[in-house]
Order: sequence, then C-alpha cells, then structure tokens
Amino acid sequence: MTDDLIRLLASWQLVHEMADEGLKAAVERGRETGVEGMRSGPDAFVDGLTALVDEEKERLKTALTSGGDVASVSEGLVDAEALEEIRFEIGELKGRMETLQTTLDAIARKLSGSGGGE
Amino acid sequence: MPSRSREIASVFARRWGRASVDSGLGLRGGTRRREAFARETRLAFEELGPAFIKLGQMMSVRPDVFSSELVFELSALQDSVAPAPFEAIREVIEDEFARPVDELFDDLDPVPVASASVAQVHRARLRADSPVAWGPALAAGTVVAVKVLKPGVRAAITGDLELSRRLARRLAIVRPREGWTLAAFIEEFERSLGRELDMREEGRTADRFAFDFRDDEQVRVPTVAWGRTTRRVLTMEYLEGWRLSELDEARRAGVDAYGLAEHGATAFMRQVLVHGRYHADLHPANLFVTPDDRIAYLDFGIVGIVTPDERRHIAHVLAALVFRDPDRALRASSELGVEVPPEQRDALARDLGALMDRTLADERDVRHFGKGFLSLLGDYGVEIPVGYGLLVKSLVTVEGVARALYPGIDIIETSRPFVTRILVEQELTMSRLLERGPAAVRAALGELLA
Repeated sequence: MTDDLIRLLASWQLVHEMADEGLKAAVERGRETGVEGMRSGPDAFVDGLTALVDEEKERLKTALTSGGDVASVSEGLVDAEALEEIRFEIGELKGRMETLQTTLDAIARKLSGSGGGE
Repeated sequence: MPSRSREIASVFARRWGRASVDSGLGLRGGTRRREAFARETRLAFEELGPAFIKLGQMMSVRPDVFSSELVFELSALQDSVAPAPFEAIREVIEDEFARPVDELFDDLDPVPVASASVAQVHRARLRADSPVAWGPALAAGTVVAVKVLKPGVRAAITGDLELSRRLARRLAIVRPREGWTLAAFIEEFERSLGRELDMREEGRTADRFAFDFRDDEQVRVPTVAWGRTTRRVLTMEYLEGWRLSELDEARRAGVDAYGLAEHGATAFMRQVLVHGRYHADLHPANLFVTPDDRIAYLDFGIVGIVTPDERRHIAHVLAALVFRDPDRALRASSELGVEVPPEQRDALARDLGALMDRTLADERDVRHFGKGFLSLLGDYGVEIPVGYGLLVKSLVTVEGVARALYPGIDIIETSRPFVTRILVEQELTMSRLLERGPAAVRAALGELLA
C-alpha cells in the first residue's frame, strides 16, 4: 500500500516535471521564433503564445516582489496613458486659447490704435 | 468671357491638345492615352496657380473617383511658386499681431527657405518665450520657421472657386463615378481649402502627431509656438536636416539611410494601425532627415482617419499582401466597404492573385501593385471607398519615400514583424477570443475526432 502510494506520488511528480520541461522548452522555442514566427503554424502559435504568457508572468513576478498590487499593474498603465491624454488635450486647449488671446489683443490694439508692447 | 476664364480655357485647350497629339490622337492604348492626359493636366494645374494646385492635390488623394494614372501623376504636382515680396509678408505678420515684427521675432530672414502656392516660410528667432501644447515652452532665442499665408491668396482662390462653381453647373453631366458630381467635389474642395487656409489647423494636427509619437526617439515633429501663431501665421520650431533630394550629402554625413527607411515604413504602419491617424500627403518636400538620424515630418495638410474596426481589417489586408493571399485580401477589403458582386468574386480573386504574383513575389513593388489593384477594381466596376483608396495610395507613397532613402528596401517585409504583433494583439483580446473561441474549439474537436 505504502509502495503504491509512493509510486502514485512519483508518477504525479513525473507528470509535473515533464510538463514543466515541456513548458520551458515551448517558452524557449517561442522566444527564439519571436511573435512574427507565430503565424507559421499551430505549433509555432502555441510556442509563441507560451512565450508571451511567460513574459507576462515575469512582469507580474517583478510587480509582486516589488510590493505592487497585481491588479493595479495593468490598471496603472491604463491610468497613466489616460492621464497623459488628458494632459495633452488640456495643452491643446491652452494652445487654442493662446492663439485666440493673441488675435483678441491684436484687435484691441488696432481699435485703440496704440500698437503697444505685450 | 472674363479674362481669367479665357486664360483657364486656353491653358486646358493647349495642354489637352498636346496630350491628344502625344497619344496619337487617341489611337494609342488606353493606359498610354490616360498617362498623356494626366501629365498635361498636371502641367496645366501648375501653370494656373494656387487654386488649381490645391485642387490637383485634393484630386491626387481620391483614387476612388479619378483614374489611377491621374491620381499618381497629380501626386507629383510641384508646389513651388515664386515667393511674395518680403515687405508684403512683413505686412501680413504685423497685421495679424498688430505689432511691429521686431517685437515678435529677432533676425527674421527676408529670404524665404521655402515658397509654395499658398504660403512661404521664413527663418527667425523667438523674441520671447512661447507656450506650446505639449512639452517644455519654446524659449526666447529658439530658431523658428515662420510660415505665412501669402497676401492675396485667399482672394485669388475665391475668384477661381467662383469660376469653378459656374463651370461645374455647366458640366453637371460629367460623372466619372455613380453618385459623384463635379459641383459636390468643388464644395468639398472649398471646405478642405478653408481648413488649409487656416494655419492653426495645421498646427493642431502637428501637435497631435508629435503626441502620438512622443515615445519614438527617431520621429521628430516641430513644436508649434502658439504664442506666435494665428490664422495666417504658423510659427514652429525650425528643424535642420536634408530633404530627400539631398540624401547624398546626408549619407556622407553618416546618416543610416536603411535604418531610417525601415523606421519610416514602420512609423506609417503605426499611424494607421495604432493611432488611426496618418499623414496622407507624404512627398519629398514634406519630410527630411536630421543629422542625429531622425525622420522629421512637416506639413500636415491631409490626414487620413481610420476607426478601430477598420484598423483590424486593414491589418488583415496587409497580412494578405505578405502571404499573397487574394481571398483573404478581398474578404478583409469587403469589411472596409469594397463590395465585390458574388458573381465576379472568383474572377477578381484570380486576377488579383496574378497581380500579386507579378508584383509581390520576389522583389516586391508596392507601387505597381497599388496602381494595378485600384485599376483592377475599376475594371470590375467595384466602387472604391474614399478612405480605402487614400490608404492604398498612401502605402504606395510610403514605399516611394522609403525607396528614396534606401532603394533596395522592401516595406512589406520590414514592417512584417510590427504588423504581425498588431494582428496578434488584436486577435488575442478577450472579446475576440470569446467571439471566435467556440468556433476554434469546434474545429479543434473536429480535428481530434476525425
């Protein structure tokens, strides 16, 4: 009975070991062929996908070890992009206002006939 | 007949008469005849001045309406016109700001660095700091390019537009395509010209382009000095570099021509597939190479827009070009509005496959493919949507520019990794997986159980 249990656990460990080696080999192949190689066939697609997943896993690992919150990693990126976009739009509006102000000043100067400085 | 009408009529009569002679009084083949007329039409437009040059530029981005020969010939319109006198330019600047030029700029060079049909550019230095839309303000002393609308241009164009409208009414019968009228085209031209005659529009587009490429060290867009910009004056950072016609000098200075050509092609794909906005008027005068190995984009007059859905289908069309797969190209094109009648589909796919084999097999020639594809759709009577035609034409132009930088470049091959990555990213979204997952599982089970 004990032998059987040990044998069962050994088989289970072996399956994991083989799967792990298979996964590592797939990641390696996926990295070698790169994303562009994914279109050459179903096997290459699976390898490429495995490499992409592995990359994401490494990013998550780094975020976790640096004390970050898993969920906030991608959300943080989205937020930063949205923030930049809003900053740009505000800058754009300021640019529009600046040129309108310039035109307004020019009209005021013409009306007053002063032609003075800024 | 007013004198301007007589002048226009006489220029076209002379030019088209020459085209008739060159094409053997119409006896030569269709393509030769169309090429002769296209060439003389371009020369007539150049002769007739700003309104016609702008009209020609607008026609050059409408392969959905005009023949591919005319469209590609008009892309070569020379928009280089004698400059207006400096005094007149100075008056425009002073009128826009109601201030003497010396209070706005230092060292405003009376000799323009460029002069086109509607505007000319003078080099100067900012006299005071100027706010910008993105990034640090431009400091006093910064060298700038001051682009000024030529005096009298608006009036000249308005006059020609009025004549064109009258002509359009008389030529209401001319309809190169179903549902298209000359009068509607003139109206559209008027609207687009209105935008082009407002320098602030160009400044905004440049800002957006600069923002889209903010993380790309190799792409350079001049920053707009909004404190010195009005409807008739656009002040931008002055960028030093070589035009595509001066590349020998650039190569001698050690510029990496291949790297820039490759990056330029990928940057175009990024504009189309990532940002959905692309520079649709690239030509040698609109971009140059900087001494620090960057591509500088100028003049954002014509911008193409694509929606997120269209981007996905465009990526599939590009993938179809890479793999020379006519069925896939037509399938993705139909999602972009290219409706091929079912009874013609097989024949068109066969002809398209033959065209791909001729032009995209060994040494890829996107120019001949693009022209051939648009002609093929025309031959089959397939209507080409505006955006689709503009995109095909822009792709051809990008190849022309990349080849001017590095003659041996294959833009399809160099942009392949980028396009593939975009395709994978697009297809691996949760919504796409949920949409296509069940079908994929069914197919996989079918394969396993077979």
